[in-house]
Amino acid sequence: MKGFSAACCQKMGMALAAMLVATGAQAAGETLAAFYKNQVDPHFGLVRGGVDAAAKSMGATVTHYTPTRPNNLAEQLAQIEDVTTRKPSGILFMAVDPRGVVPAIEKVNAAGIPIVNYNDKVAGGKYVTFVGFDDYKLGLDTGRYLLKAIGGQGNVVIIEGVKGSLTSDERVRGFRKALEEFPNVKLLASQPANFQRLPALQVMENLIQANPKIDGVLAAADAMALGARDALEAANRGATKVIGINGVPEAIEAVKAGRLLATGEFDGYKIGCVATMASLRGLRGQSVPASMIFSGVVIDKGNLAPWDVPLDKRQCPKWEDVAK
Amino acid sequence: MPGKRQGRGLPAWLTGDAGALAYRLIFILVLCVILGLTHESFASSANLLNLLRQASLVFLLASGLTLVIIAGGIDLSVAANLTLSACLAAGVMKGTGSVTLGVLTALGCGGFAGLLNGLAVTRLKLPPFLATYGSLWILQGLAFRYMGGQEIFGFPAAFRALGTGFWWGVPVPVYLMALIAFLLAVLMRKTVFGHHLYAIGANPEAARLSGVPVLSRRLAVYALSGAMAGVAALVYLARVNSADAGLGEALLLPTIAAVLIGGTSLFGGSGGVLGTLAGAVILAITINAMNLFNVKATWQPLVIGCVVILAVLVDLIGNGRRERIG
Repeated sequence: MKGFSAACCQKMGMALAAMLVATGAQAAGETLAAFYKNQVDPHFGLVRGGVDAAAKSMGATVTHYTPTRPNNLAEQLAQIEDVTTRKPSGILFMAVDPRGVVPAIEKVNAAGIPIVNYNDKVAGGKYVTFVGFDDYKLGLDTGRYLLKAIGGQGNVVIIEGVKGSLTSDERVRGFRKALEEFPNVKLLASQPANFQRLPALQVMENLIQANPKIDGVLAAADAMALGARDALEAANRGATKVIGINGVPEAIEAVKAGRLLATGEFDGYKIGCVATMASLRGLRGQSVPASMIFSGVVIDKGNLAPWDVPLDKRQCPKWEDVAK
Repeated sequence: MPGKRQGRGLPAWLTGDAGALAYRLIFILVLCVILGLTHESFASSANLLNLLRQASLVFLLASGLTLVIIAGGIDLSVAANLTLSACLAAGVMKGTGSVTLGVLTALGCGGFAGLLNGLAVTRLKLPPFLATYGSLWILQGLAFRYMGGQEIFGFPAAFRALGTGFWWGVPVPVYLMALIAFLLAVLMRKTVFGHHLYAIGANPEAARLSGVPVLSRRLAVYALSGAMAGVAALVYLARVNSADAGLGEALLLPTIAAVLIGGTSLFGGSGGVLGTLAGAVILAITINAMNLFNVKATWQPLVIGCVVILAVLVDLIGNGRRERIG
């Protein structure tokens, strides 16, 4: 070309080659669609953080789908339809209603988009894998921890989540199994509080009225544990021990301060990371186990350091550490 | 003239709005006696105060709404308004450390949102159902954006006394509930403003022709409803000590239920704040009793539904079947 020196052509050639190499490294560039239940529970903020972190490190982009009305099935169904037409490379899915979404998921299966089911199990459909925690075991382990801490004697109450939610039912099942192992402990009551703080506060206030001596509270989620704890402190019953499940920041603070005895590790960040890694590995033809269910640990004052980290400083686990 | 109803040759105090209230109070009394006899802890003063405290949040939210409904409108955005007001107040209190600023934020946000509702209804002439349904989404959306999926928790002890404190053995929110109930009842029955609201609800055209400033009254009542949402937001924060963008979601239906169980007609022109107080108390009794009796989770929605219907049925039977549903 007239006017261009040889050196210039060389530079351009190198630049072009560099560009090609760069896009080659990013050639995978998959698009993922990640679904959540609501934008209200900080747990899903952690999941989202994990998804973003893993996707970024593996060179994929993510679109996040959350119903604007918390846990709203109709909105989630509309979002699933939307995703079926946009055809992302892969989907990370959790259902606001494990049964209600099944027909819509089967359509996604038919459209051939691979799905990873994460957080809690959907009652149907085909998935590359399931990534989550064992809710039953979390209930069992945290239950045992509290029952041991009260010396295997005394009275406890259970605060359930939403009846019919798999998460709640499984955790409560775990609590009840733990109770079977401690025959000298009496279960005074088991009442629902919808995973929410104010209902748990009020339920606990009412239970305090009826029961002069409560030694332990088994709450199926941190929000409810914190609500129950507030009620106990307000009634000068601070000696009652309370456990929750989730490991959200406020609960970790409470465990540090001695207000909660312990919480169960239902680590949203880890779920987000691993599900994303599993999805991308599946798309890239690498091996993925059919099921990745983690047993969470019981987080107490002694071991809470790994969870006492702000979101922007957390890191995804290595694949080799989590895949068996 | 406030709310006319069919009597059946009953004594004066058992007809009209006073009658509706009397039936509800009798219903509450009967409930309390039955529950008190069947469960040792129900009728203790501690439990009854506990119960009243639980009713106070729903009552405060429902009190402004009652006035709006009496004036012939509706405000579906009260719970979303509470959510946004509470979230903003929480952020301000945490950020500045000032309780006063937090209180002003909640009241300001609540009142301002209410004012916007009022303007939508009076200036834009939007039907109240649609206008407040739209603002419900807008307020909730603003709360989501502001909170960004996080929670704000831990407020100053002095502030928390509003929700958790006791004066002479009675919880602070109960005093607030009594005060607001008294003030609004006086406002509605003894002032021109109140009579105007009933008139507008019963027959807006006749009211206008009689010289009632319909538009400015409507604007005022929506602003008041919003301000009450702000008050309820403060009580919520003081009680629960934490804020998240979903906090008000579950409160809308119980709030409307309290108003309707209380005997205020959805068509406007009748009912009152004291009825709403009774409605809020009936709801609180129901949940309290279910917890005390350890009623299984799967039965609870059924029980609540039955109590709601029963409470309204008592009034309908007592006053003779009314032609209007409400």
